[in-house]
Amino acid sequence: MTVATTTRPLGLAGAPVSAWAFGIRIWLAVVVALAASFWLELEAPSTAAITVAILAAPTRGQALEKACYRLLATLIGVAAAIAITGLFSQARDLLLAAFAGWIGLCVYAAGLLDGNRAYAAVLSGYTVAIVAIQQIDTPQNVFETAVARGAAIAVGIAAIAVVNDLLGAPDRFPQLASQLAALHRRVRDYAKAVLRSEAPDAAAATELLHDVAVLRSEMASLATESESGSIRTATARSTVVALVAEVQAARAFNALPATADPAFRENTVAALDRSNERLPTAAAVGPDEADRGALPSLSVPLTRAARELLRRDAEVREGLAGLNAGSLPRRTWRTPLYRAQPVAVAAGIRAAACLALPSVFYVLAGWPTAAASLSLVAIVIGLGATTPNPKDFTLLAFIAAPIATVLAGTLEFLMLDGVNEFPLLALALAPFMIGATVVMAQPNPLLSGLGRLNLIFILGIFAPSNPPSYNPEAFLFTSLFVWLAAGLLLTAQILIPTEASERGQRWIMASVRRDFERVLSGWDRRLAPEEAMFRDAARIGRIPAGGTSPRGNAVLKEALSYFDRAAAIRFCRASLAQLVDTSLSHLAADAQKALAAQDTRRLREACLALEHVSSAERALAEEISAELALAAIIIDAATQTTAPVEIVS
Amino acid sequence: MHSFPELIVGSVFVAPFIRYAVAALIVFLVLRPILHLCRFAEIFSHPAVAELSLYVTILGWLTIAF
Repeated sequence: MTVATTTRPLGLAGAPVSAWAFGIRIWLAVVVALAASFWLELEAPSTAAITVAILAAPTRGQALEKACYRLLATLIGVAAAIAITGLFSQARDLLLAAFAGWIGLCVYAAGLLDGNRAYAAVLSGYTVAIVAIQQIDTPQNVFETAVARGAAIAVGIAAIAVVNDLLGAPDRFPQLASQLAALHRRVRDYAKAVLRSEAPDAAAATELLHDVAVLRSEMASLATESESGSIRTATARSTVVALVAEVQAARAFNALPATADPAFRENTVAALDRSNERLPTAAAVGPDEADRGALPSLSVPLTRAARELLRRDAEVREGLAGLNAGSLPRRTWRTPLYRAQPVAVAAGIRAAACLALPSVFYVLAGWPTAAASLSLVAIVIGLGATTPNPKDFTLLAFIAAPIATVLAGTLEFLMLDGVNEFPLLALALAPFMIGATVVMAQPNPLLSGLGRLNLIFILGIFAPSNPPSYNPEAFLFTSLFVWLAAGLLLTAQILIPTEASERGQRWIMASVRRDFERVLSGWDRRLAPEEAMFRDAARIGRIPAGGTSPRGNAVLKEALSYFDRAAAIRFCRASLAQLVDTSLSHLAADAQKALAAQDTRRLREACLALEHVSSAERALAEEISAELALAAIIIDAATQTTAPVEIVS
Repeated sequence: MHSFPELIVGSVFVAPFIRYAVAALIVFLVLRPILHLCRFAEIFSHPAVAELSLYVTILGWLTIAF
């Protein structure tokens, strides 16, 4: 029995020291942003503080990347605000309709992008809310409001960038490297389970592919961190693609019969453990294989599969080493994004409808300051659009609003209560900023979400200005509007149904089948086989989990069978393309036709023909023959085990 | 010390400091690959502060020279 001793990281009151350091950095950045805004006499100093709160991220690279996108999105949003106001300022109802349409368009764009780019899309949406809708009764002020907002955001970005640099915010790439190393361990465990014929289920493979693909959005933040950042980004991308390729290489062993040469499989497991590239020696073929005279023996595809697995493992290890050292691997790949058009369109339409309902309510209520609350509705829609479940985010905002009201009220009327010296303001902000940030840094997603929302809402409700105004009426109205906005949005999101997960599954499976037809016909996109495989993996990762239901499992199995076959066919096509200008081009053409028809008998004949050539390209032909043999086995296994699943709603 | 010429973009007045800040950022971004070749990050104990200082230096030089 072994006893594992773990040293707990240094902590204070249950939170690690790094979380407290993060909290102090954010507090100082808010203070610097406010000081700069007051000194420059900006019109919207609270926007600078809220910018710092929104950009609060534990590492330098993430904050800087989000800052770049925030600036870009503000420019786009301001241009759209001026355009919408210019066109519709005379007809208020048309203006609200145009605004709802713009929000829908931005949420649709957010559905097609990922990570901070999706955030930029939704920010363009709610920038129009803040700039145009809040000035709905005074359209002549739209330009000045836009310039003031842009200036405040720039000051906020500068504040957080300088504070992060000077106070030693950690870099992103060590954390990313350890995340990738942990994924590599999981992929190796999966490969060993497959080699030992322990048959891990489809859900395990899907979860692995999902976790690998989800890291795609995190890599762009490395580029802003340091001058070797763009190289590290390219290395990290190549590493994730190699991880997906390793999963596919491991899955190839699922197709090979479990009884074929178990000693060889054990040796491959040992080679994986030793992390070396030397292939174990293939043992003799089993007795029943000798009867199938004309068919290629199983040791050839087995050897090929093992070699591929070890090669991909070596590529991953090279990528991880390159990420830490800041050097490029031998081969670099891009990570294409899978864009689910129907899902994005549905999300966009739903967002527009969720905005239209509250605006009808506000128009009927006829309150003079309702425009502020409508812009808050747009903000909560925008912030929730990048989360996996917008309704949960709105619920969290609904819970966070009263908490933030109490905290902001304590700050404004109990702690500050009429002072107007800046150092006192800075001191008073400290417990709230540091506390909210430490809660945000907790691993529990509920607490983290509450902390983040409180950080933003406290600054929004308190709204520091110079000279400070301690007006209880304004405070009550703002708090009421925040709560009302979250409540109305929650009602709208409950009334307007989200699509059932089965429909999402159906859309994705239809996309999988369509792309597979393209792979068969050779009309594939201009992507390298590994890059196309990464895109397939990202798509599989998006299939909504159907729990442990047999139907859900069958859908995953079908998706994975398409994934395996498409990858094998793409690799074969790429290799056969090398024979086009040689004396073996007719054999290559035969093999291509067999692949297009998924005709494994002709494929095996082509494979045998290539194995016995005696031309100058003998070595290449043998390699391709082994690849074709393995592909034939994978196609056979896939077409035998799964039939298309009919999903009936 | 020279005077700062006005920059007017489409009848919008842009402050001189913003011009210099944006120009310094562009110069810094162009300089980044060269810094990587010179192994800039390995010379300093804190590369982030070094990059910030370099940016401030470029900004100051642009303000004085142009």
